[in-house]
Amino acid sequence: MKNLSVKKPTGNEYLFEIAVFLATSARGCIDEPPLYGPFRLLDALSKLAELPEYATSLKPDPFLKEIKAIVDEKKFLVMYDVEGFKRAIDEIVEKFAKELKRRSLERK
Amino acid sequence: MDVFEAIKGRRSVRRYKPDAVPKELIEKILDAARWAPSGGNIQPWKFIVVSDKHLLEMVRKVSPGYLGEATLGILVCSDKEKAYRIGGVLGRDYLSVADCAMAVENMLLAAYALGLGTCVVKSFSRIAVKEILEIPEGIEPELLVILGYPAQTPTPPSRIPLKEIAYLNKYGQNFPTSLEE
Repeated sequence: MKNLSVKKPTGNEYLFEIAVFLATSARGCIDEPPLYGPFRLLDALSKLAELPEYATSLKPDPFLKEIKAIVDEKKFLVMYDVEGFKRAIDEIVEKFAKELKRRSLERK
Repeated sequence: MDVFEAIKGRRSVRRYKPDAVPKELIEKILDAARWAPSGGNIQPWKFIVVSDKHLLEMVRKVSPGYLGEATLGILVCSDKEKAYRIGGVLGRDYLSVADCAMAVENMLLAAYALGLGTCVVKSFSRIAVKEILEIPEGIEPELLVILGYPAQTPTPPSRIPLKEIAYLNKYGQNFPTSLEE
């Protein structure tokens, strides 16, 4: 998420920004088209993936960075290609599942 | 610019350059807005130009539909009290919304003709926006138009063919058209 202000937000400021996004999205999702729900969740995922850039105590996560790039590229499919949007989410979930397995094995 | 060129060329832009929009262009866009049709000539619209970076940043944060880094926002509001006073329930509940929507379309086309990109945002928190921009009771935020110099030219989305949405004389009767899909 690019910030319009010149000053880069701190980790806490960025976290607060995500919280505001989630709260306002929650209210919006009641009245908005149903497909905006998954769109907001993907947008939230994109924002969360960027958290290590602001909260420097967190380690950068190359996998999340890769996912963020995919999300940012594909999320607008919701506007004109719903089937493509669904496929993109399926692909993202599949990547997460593989990564989950990999991380799980790593912890053993 | 030909009006049809503007209508067909305009896109919802979600990536912008950081350059500020000059005041003269903002004035032209607002002038186009106020010349939109208005039911009963109520002209219920109010336009809040948000150019202050910090205010705009706050508005963006409470607007999940604000995608991209547009350097300017114009919040189009309707004066519900005025609309009701002059236009009754119809004025307050329908005409005021339709008028603002027509004003917004004028803004989008004018902005496009001036080389600007725009995107209409309805996904914002009205409560939060009212608080941030100190909007009084009786004034309702309708649509947020974000503007800036475009950093992308979005692919045109599909449109439903005319034959599926246009009828001749009676609902459901074929409207002959030579326009391609």
